[in-house]
Amino acid sequence: MDAVFLAELERIVGPDGLVRDAGDLLTYESDALVRLRERPAAAVLPDTVDQVQQVVRLCHRSKVPFVARGSGTGLSGGALPHPDGVLIVLTRLNRVLDIDIPNQRITVEPGVTNLEVTRRVASSGYYYAPDPSSQVICSIGGNVAENSGGAHCLKYGFTVHHVLGVEVVLPDGELAHLGGEALDSPGLDLLGVIVGSEGTLAVVTKVTLRLVRRPEAVQMLLVAFDSTDAAGNAVSDIISAGIIPAAIEMMDRTTIRAAEAAVHPGFPDAEAVLIVELDGPRSEVVALFARVEAVCARNNGWGVQVARDEAQRGRIWMGRKAAFAAMGRIAPNYYVQDGVIPRSKLPEVLRRIRQLEIESGLTIGNVFHAGDGNLHPLVCYDAAVDGQADLAEQVATEILTYCLDVGGSLTGEHGIGADKACHMPKMFTTADLETMQLVRAAFDPDQICNPDKLFPTPRLCGEVPGPYRAHPAEIAGLIDRV
Amino acid sequence: MTSRSSSLDAVVAEVEARAGAGLARPGVAADAIDGIVPGIVAQPPTPVALATTLAWATETGRTVVVRGGGTKLGWGASPGSVDLLLSTTAMNAVVEHRHGDLTATVQAGATLAETNAVLSRHRQWLPLDPPWSDRATIGGIVAANDSGPRRQRHGTPRDLIIGMTLARADGLMAKTGGIVVKNVAGYDLARLLTGSFGCLGVILTATFKLAPLSEASRTVSVAFPASARCGPLVADLLAHASTPSALELATPPATMLIRFESVEAVAVEQAEHAATLARDHGGTPVVLTGEDETAAWRGHDARVFDREGTILKLTIMPADLSSTLAWLDDVATARQLDYVVTGRAGLGVLFVGLHGVVSEQATFVTALRERLPVGRGSATIQRADPELKALVDVWGPVGDGLRIMQEVKRRFDPTGTLNPGRGPGGL
Ligand SMILES: Cc1cc2nc3c(=O)[nH]c(=O)nc-3n(C[C@H](O)[C@H](O)[C@H](O)COP(=O)(O)OP(=O)(O)OC[C@H]3O[C@@H](n4cnc5c(N)ncnc54)[C@H](O)[C@@H]3O)c2cc1C
Repeated sequence: MDAVFLAELERIVGPDGLVRDAGDLLTYESDALVRLRERPAAAVLPDTVDQVQQVVRLCHRSKVPFVARGSGTGLSGGALPHPDGVLIVLTRLNRVLDIDIPNQRITVEPGVTNLEVTRRVASSGYYYAPDPSSQVICSIGGNVAENSGGAHCLKYGFTVHHVLGVEVVLPDGELAHLGGEALDSPGLDLLGVIVGSEGTLAVVTKVTLRLVRRPEAVQMLLVAFDSTDAAGNAVSDIISAGIIPAAIEMMDRTTIRAAEAAVHPGFPDAEAVLIVELDGPRSEVVALFARVEAVCARNNGWGVQVARDEAQRGRIWMGRKAAFAAMGRIAPNYYVQDGVIPRSKLPEVLRRIRQLEIESGLTIGNVFHAGDGNLHPLVCYDAAVDGQADLAEQVATEILTYCLDVGGSLTGEHGIGADKACHMPKMFTTADLETMQLVRAAFDPDQICNPDKLFPTPRLCGEVPGPYRAHPAEIAGLIDRV
Repeated sequence: MTSRSSSLDAVVAEVEARAGAGLARPGVAADAIDGIVPGIVAQPPTPVALATTLAWATETGRTVVVRGGGTKLGWGASPGSVDLLLSTTAMNAVVEHRHGDLTATVQAGATLAETNAVLSRHRQWLPLDPPWSDRATIGGIVAANDSGPRRQRHGTPRDLIIGMTLARADGLMAKTGGIVVKNVAGYDLARLLTGSFGCLGVILTATFKLAPLSEASRTVSVAFPASARCGPLVADLLAHASTPSALELATPPATMLIRFESVEAVAVEQAEHAATLARDHGGTPVVLTGEDETAAWRGHDARVFDREGTILKLTIMPADLSSTLAWLDDVATARQLDYVVTGRAGLGVLFVGLHGVVSEQATFVTALRERLPVGRGSATIQRADPELKALVDVWGPVGDGLRIMQEVKRRFDPTGTLNPGRGPGGL
């Protein structure tokens, strides 16, 4: 990056808004997918939308790539910097601009954290529904880019169902307002395609969100099963009974033990547990809760714990949420996969994963959003043992194949990013991908806005030996053994 | 004359070669859109036949309009010409109902009523209740992102769609999304196509998440002395733990229909609670069930949609309901326009049926738009005489996103084949 360009950047964001020293840039080399690292040529921390615009205009003029970054909690390398580009860090754009309780809306800058939104409106009896586990730190801008979900998306939907409008800086530096505070703005639903576009179409600078009234009542139960099959069948039966709980989470033996060891939530020692939460009007919750208990009993559920109060409910959620981190007690390293299957296929796919565990010799823990079929297998390995890291990766990739085999998806919430771009052709045809590219070309004809993400490129998938490159021979071998 | 009809025959033969024998014919008066009779009408039986026919039209520089049930063909600007009308009604299968997953894949030409009849076998439904659901097709409903009173709980097609296959103007068929309810792989083209009014591509199949049919339903019908009472009741209901599946108003005369769907005891309890609140707000409530309830909803739907005349769709900030209703009444009265309003009282989405001198209607629409800054509301014309459409833009201002919308249109349909000039901002 030449000195003139850097000087221009500094003029726009001021000396304290520009990061260019190698040491200082270390923080920004990766998001939460730490095995992919890249040092950006420079990082900027704009204070205002106008500064974002000026930076993007400058990049546009010089055809320099730029990557937006929120809190850096992404798990697919979406905010991985471009080595010759500018990283635009949006954490200083963190103002809450308007709270409009009569219209159940809030307008914020993209750097505001997910939880902060709820904090600001809680006293009025409202909250922001999408609740990723990372909600304490992840930014609304990142949520929009990833169409983030959370445990309660089964009933309440994802980010896309809760964003009403955005202001964006387009890759040529111009502003556009998509959607709005009122519903159904005339025109193409560009908002619908911005959400989940992983920062590849524009930089989001303002977001209007829908607020949800706190439900009158919440009830939760935890129930144990002797097999993941039985737990999986219970999930299907609950849905088939016409009940849409706020959340249904599943944990298997491995993750139950890990959580127990880490935070002692008092989970039963079982092959699987389900955590089912219902919310809504009190009388409805009471009526449906009894039916959920009956469905679980029919599927030979046992050890039922009903959360009697907030403290007990908090304890159970803590056990569930600690499961990821707690895996550190079971293995030195683990690999988090994110795939989706139709929920009726849970028993079948979990059985295949179990078989893969035996075949590969690697422990695989499962803790996931069972209600919407979003699996998060945790493949345990020891990086110190030669070849185990590679094997873990192959195993994780193999699980994705299982998901696609039953009509599922490569990702339910972590995104494609740099991580899974090379897998896209497994799910989509050339025609599908080319059609998506039409949108990209309309927004960003110069391909400077977060390039090399989401779509397979020769740079990413052809030459560079990335950790996620397909190893056809080895994978084939693995399949043979299974 | 003879040469013209023989050349028409030749074109019909060209279309039949792609759409299928006996599946193309010259357009007739009954096919007209705003008075424009299409050259050819074709009804391809399969997605491949449709895509092939479409590719031919694009290659030969013809304009194409897609028709499902034909319930919303008058929406949008008047077409300049329609060389080929592609009907989707021969593609009308419910391809797959995955009841264990609460999802279904449906072909574009199936009507909503047919679809829901199939889904009801497993006590599920595609929870949409737009007008004319016996005739409106899935493709048309998705292309218009249309919905009805139960949007209050279930949202619009945009909220329910999880996957789609589409034919591009060049005939390439593409898939987006999938069959699972949670999925963030790739751009969400299904949402982009939803509400695109057929200007980007032809929807072939759509996959939705479904809802269980509710066990019980009660509707509180409330008569009010004045429409000004509606807004405060809505605010009060939503501030309590009330979870209506529909929250509708209609005026004049001012009435509300508030629906509760759940298990029996809960529907009854919530309806009674709403009736009490309605009384506190000066209304006269009646709790309806069974046939009375069905009839009340049918009547409500008919108030705007089964009337002749102009239909406007109005979106406002929900809290501006009372002031908007007052404004509508003042201005319509001053302009001697006969009007009726129905709509989603909790969401700020209203439909206005309008009768009167066309120039007065045009002034009314323009004045309405002046009240609504882009992003805080909109007034679009859904149905009107070409005469009114010639006086005012049917869509109204689109805002600064228009540039990218035009660019998206240009990339998807560079030849301007699909529904040219009829969409928002002339897309
Ligand atoms: C422990 C942990 C738990 C998690 N749990 C969940 C979960 O339950 N559900 C879930 O969905 N995700 C989860 N995630 C993933 C992650 O938190 C989400 O994807 C989150 O939305 C990312 O937000 P961020 O601000 O950290 O974005 P970043 O990581 O900074 O960026 C993510 C992507 O968004 C783009 N981006 C960021 N800001 C903008 C902007 N203003 N404009 C345009 N593009 C932008 C970036 O370019 C990048 O592509 C979890 C992550 C961790 C580490």
